[in-house]
Amino acid sequence: MTQLALVIDLNVCVGCHACVTSCKQWNTSGQAGPMFDDNPYGKDPTGTFFNRVQTFEVGEFPCTETVHFPKSCLHCEDAPCVPVCPTGASYKRKEDGIVLVDYDKCIGCKYCSWACPYGARELDENQKVMKKCTLCVDRIYDQSIPEDRRKPACVISCPTGARLFGDVHDPDSEVSIAIRENGGYQLMPEWGTKPANHYLPRRKTKMHIHEDELTRADNPLRKEDIRHETSKDTTLDDWLM
Amino acid sequence: MKIAFREIEGKSQGYWGLFAVLAILAALGVGSALYMEHHGHIVTGMDNQIVWGLPHVFAVFLIVAASGALNVASIATVFGKTLYKPLNRLSGLLAIALLAGGLMVLVLDLGRADRLIVAMTYYNFKSIFAWNVILYNGFFAIVIAYLWTMMDQKGGRWYKPVGLLAFVWRLILTTGTGSIFGFLVAREAYDAALLAPMFIVFSFNYGLAVFLLVLMGFYAGTGRALGDKMVLRLKNLLGVFIAASLYFVFVYHITNLYFTKHHGLEAFILMNGGIHTLMFWVGQVVLGYLLPMAILFHPGLGNSRAWIALAALLAILGGLAQMYVTIIGGQAYPIDLFPGFEVSSSFYDGVVHPYTPSALELMLGLGGVAVALLMVAFAVKVLRFLPERLDDETVAALHGAK
Repeated sequence: MTQLALVIDLNVCVGCHACVTSCKQWNTSGQAGPMFDDNPYGKDPTGTFFNRVQTFEVGEFPCTETVHFPKSCLHCEDAPCVPVCPTGASYKRKEDGIVLVDYDKCIGCKYCSWACPYGARELDENQKVMKKCTLCVDRIYDQSIPEDRRKPACVISCPTGARLFGDVHDPDSEVSIAIRENGGYQLMPEWGTKPANHYLPRRKTKMHIHEDELTRADNPLRKEDIRHETSKDTTLDDWLM
Repeated sequence: MKIAFREIEGKSQGYWGLFAVLAILAALGVGSALYMEHHGHIVTGMDNQIVWGLPHVFAVFLIVAASGALNVASIATVFGKTLYKPLNRLSGLLAIALLAGGLMVLVLDLGRADRLIVAMTYYNFKSIFAWNVILYNGFFAIVIAYLWTMMDQKGGRWYKPVGLLAFVWRLILTTGTGSIFGFLVAREAYDAALLAPMFIVFSFNYGLAVFLLVLMGFYAGTGRALGDKMVLRLKNLLGVFIAASLYFVFVYHITNLYFTKHHGLEAFILMNGGIHTLMFWVGQVVLGYLLPMAILFHPGLGNSRAWIALAALLAILGGLAQMYVTIIGGQAYPIDLFPGFEVSSSFYDGVVHPYTPSALELMLGLGGVAVALLMVAFAVKVLRFLPERLDDETVAALHGAK
């Protein structure tokens, strides 16, 4: 069974919010839109977003570092938002594993947003139905878009290429390889919801260099001892030697 | 012994005054719902963190109280206490009216109230919410049938079985209401099997408090005789139900306090949660449990009608405070996505969610209460719900009968 998902590399994400804005742009102008906005350029803007970036600090000050954590619907394989929906408006597609909301069947009871342990669902305050990430389902199958562009808007817009998209059930897919080789993990796996989206952890590139390695063992000048006496005055040679 | 039931006259200024006030409140409730429907949820205090606000506090309270209001009838029918038989019509009527008022608020607070028909035609049987829709509808049907068996001689032979069915159904209904929260695994405040039986005990408490107030109100207003025997028995029962509520709340919190992972939530509700802590200790525990119990079991005050009425009113206010703490407090406490880390974001992650209910939400909630009471006030005027007299002799005769 296909399970489409995003894999987000936290080692690469710089928290620029390009995924947030491109998601908003595509989905507002797409079939899911318009997505509600109130006072977008004012002091307290509020609105509906499918994708948001959280920032959290690791460590104790001053030894801290900041991790940016983009979060959208994780398209759980055992999604807790699906069984709780009274009308069945919230459903998981068999063919590709995307969790969607049927906007025509949603009565806006908001119970699914209580049930989601990841806080991924938002009520559109204008349309008064529950909305969430669709993995750009209206884009990834659109034959009028060039094939290499049939990806979610957030994946295409990410300037650092931190977001990958593909089938996590296909062991040879780019996302499966990335998860396998880079220690990809799920958000809160203890819930048993089996989130399809994965995160690649922060990875530090470290080298251990011995002091010997900083001295050139085979320095030809030393070997042949062709250094000349130098005057006590500082000359250009002092800098060169 | 035959009990005579009679409609109230309903011609006094007091009656029409009450009717007018309730009608205005109901109209304000409907008007505010229309306003929210037109402008969207943005005009309310609710947002994507607090998705169920003050209207749900009223709605769930009314629904829970509705099933509890049926208890008096159940005691008479199922447990054979003929003493309460004269009250079973009012008990059934209140149950229907409170449920109708509560459901009105619930439906009008839905994002898409216009899609009620969808909720009635598409059922996802894995959803406790869908089951609640069935349970509410069934409750209406069963209690209407129950009233028919009480009020029509032709239905008399069905009185016992329908009464038993209504009793079982009301237990299942409140189990369903409690499980709306109990089945929520994602929020720390819920996810507990205890919530279902706790809501049943709450329903005993709230339902009887409303019943007692309405009963005393109508008898005082119409000048009909209502003896101490009946009132004192009911008030003792109310005191026991309040004590049972306190017991369940104690067990709920002591269990949570035992689990280290819930310490944050408990500290939030019990110590540093601001309005939620205030609502819990002052509203729910002191006003809702301790004070009414002290009044009801006090040798002097417990015999005074005015004090009993005050205790019942306090139990109701405590019930609303409990719903506020349960519903709003449970949402205000943030989901812990990154245990042990400090989270910040532009959309309230990792912080306690603020909520200031708008006047519109309060009007909708009060509108539901008003609709429930309007239904009762109208029904007792046109149909024979209230016994003509419930003085001590009548009650003693009934008591002797069983």
